[in-house]
Amino acid sequence: MKSGERNYSGSNREPSLKGTLISVGVLGLVIVISWFAVFALFISR
Amino acid sequence: MAIPKLDVFENNSRLPLPIEKKEANLYMSFIYVAFISLFIGGLMGLLQVLVRSGSFTLPWGIGYYQILTLHGVVLALVLTTFFILGFQYALMGKTVGMSAKQRKVSWLAFWVMTIGTAMTAATILVGKASVLYTFYAPLKAHPAFYIGLALVVVGSWIAGFVNWRQLYVWKKDHPGEKSPLLAFMVTINMIMWFIASIGVAVAVLVQFIPWSLGYAETINVLVSRTLFWYFGHPLVYFWLLPAYMAWYAIIPKIIGGKIFSDSLARLSFVLFLFFSIPVGFHHQLTEPGIDPTWKFIQVVLTFMVVIPSLMTAFSMFATFEITGRKKGFGGLFGWLKHLPWKDVRFLAPFIGMLAFIPGGAGGIINASHQMNAVVHNTIWVTGHFHLTVATTVILTFFGITYWLVPHLTGRTLTKEVNRLGIIQTFVWTIGMTIMSGAMHIQGLLGAPRRSAYSDYGGSEQAVEWGAYQMAQAIGGTILFIGITLMVYIFIKLTFFSPKGEEEFPIAEEEENAPATPMWLENWKLWVAITVALILFAYTIPFVDIIQNSPPGSPPFDWPIGNS
Repeated sequence: MKSGERNYSGSNREPSLKGTLISVGVLGLVIVISWFAVFALFISR
Repeated sequence: MAIPKLDVFENNSRLPLPIEKKEANLYMSFIYVAFISLFIGGLMGLLQVLVRSGSFTLPWGIGYYQILTLHGVVLALVLTTFFILGFQYALMGKTVGMSAKQRKVSWLAFWVMTIGTAMTAATILVGKASVLYTFYAPLKAHPAFYIGLALVVVGSWIAGFVNWRQLYVWKKDHPGEKSPLLAFMVTINMIMWFIASIGVAVAVLVQFIPWSLGYAETINVLVSRTLFWYFGHPLVYFWLLPAYMAWYAIIPKIIGGKIFSDSLARLSFVLFLFFSIPVGFHHQLTEPGIDPTWKFIQVVLTFMVVIPSLMTAFSMFATFEITGRKKGFGGLFGWLKHLPWKDVRFLAPFIGMLAFIPGGAGGIINASHQMNAVVHNTIWVTGHFHLTVATTVILTFFGITYWLVPHLTGRTLTKEVNRLGIIQTFVWTIGMTIMSGAMHIQGLLGAPRRSAYSDYGGSEQAVEWGAYQMAQAIGGTILFIGITLMVYIFIKLTFFSPKGEEEFPIAEEEENAPATPMWLENWKLWVAITVALILFAYTIPFVDIIQNSPPGSPPFDWPIGNS
């Protein structure tokens, strides 16, 4: 019963996803930087 | 309303299902053709980069465009389609099962596709179809080229019908249960493939075959190109979604984790179904005969694909982080340490995932109208799809091969082959970084794709390109070493590895995972929305193209030696 309760409270706890947040942020930055780099090339030509 | 989640596989006698020898032979047959194609297509790729370096001439009168066509058709159409169908069949066999009748019909699919492939490849090899894999009109190949391609597509439809039947039979036997995740994904991919390949089938059957046989004098070039790209963009997703199947539902098992979210995975596949097809115009942004408003609308729809793509990226990072934290790795990025870097079943697909970051960024650039003007028809585009299909997709397929082939042949992945696989992955990564990187830069400097070596009359701009072409030759040579190594590994896993039982890794959900909503299984609605989006994006511009086309073109067969 006791372990069942622990499981229940465990299931409601959100796992920490800070690393994931930063990783997808970096991914987004790569996309934005690449896009603006080629856009700059377009403007300059 | 929600359906309860399936019991975990260990507690469920139904799943995963055993694969019988007869089934395994069918799945392996598809994979044999894929690996034969890898070797032939790869060899053609090596010859191309050597020719383009300017220091090698093809012997025996072989034409550059002949080998370029063979490279594109054999790798982009044959290798991918055969591997995907073999893999998807194995997933269906493992999760929903295959009857003897379904197996027989699947053999029909295999033989129709194989005969088609042989026809197409032979026509290219004798120099009668040097029209590249996009076979743009008015270049006219020998009719056998188009008939062979049509057979490949029809064969793949038969495979799709079998897959749908497999899930239908399973659902009838399991009323009220949600379909297994991998079977759901295969079904989505085959729906997308079927709807998309209707476009190329119409182009080939209605336009190209009568025209190449001489029954029609002219061909509407813009209609044929529009039908091709209606098919050509979802083709990219037809390659990518099987890789995503492995990322979502197989990689978590390999790293000792669970599926991050069954609902998220299904929803992302549904979104890929919606937004993969009504977007072909972003390949035709420089096409003068298409109304710019509709180009804009299709570009907006293209950008919608960013959503499921980023959902996938988020899901992957989250799977890695949650699994790492459960194993006790703390800190912001401590979880990276737990990943099984020495397991090639993980490493190869992981590098594939990494390659998709620049690959996806490049895709967004290609689809943006202004930037498309910078890169259109340059070798940047070739560099782009060598990152997406030839790294992300292929490294994931290699990652699958390491466990799927021994599972099907009753052998095991030995430590020695695993080590060779890790070397192969690094060789591939190095070769592709050099080759694709050089293609990207050279493309930004304005170098054209598709064309054979030329010094362009000694122009200053072309002189700038020389070093990058040399780099591509070096990268391409390293890649060919990678291909040879992979073919060796495949032969070893198929015929020589020790007998045993290799795991077919299928990840499970968390025990406390929330139930998947019932509406995700609403197939009719998903197909209806997909068709509605296609009709919205294509009807008006397509009618406009037909009504306002210039006169059709007679065939041009002499430039490719088919007169």
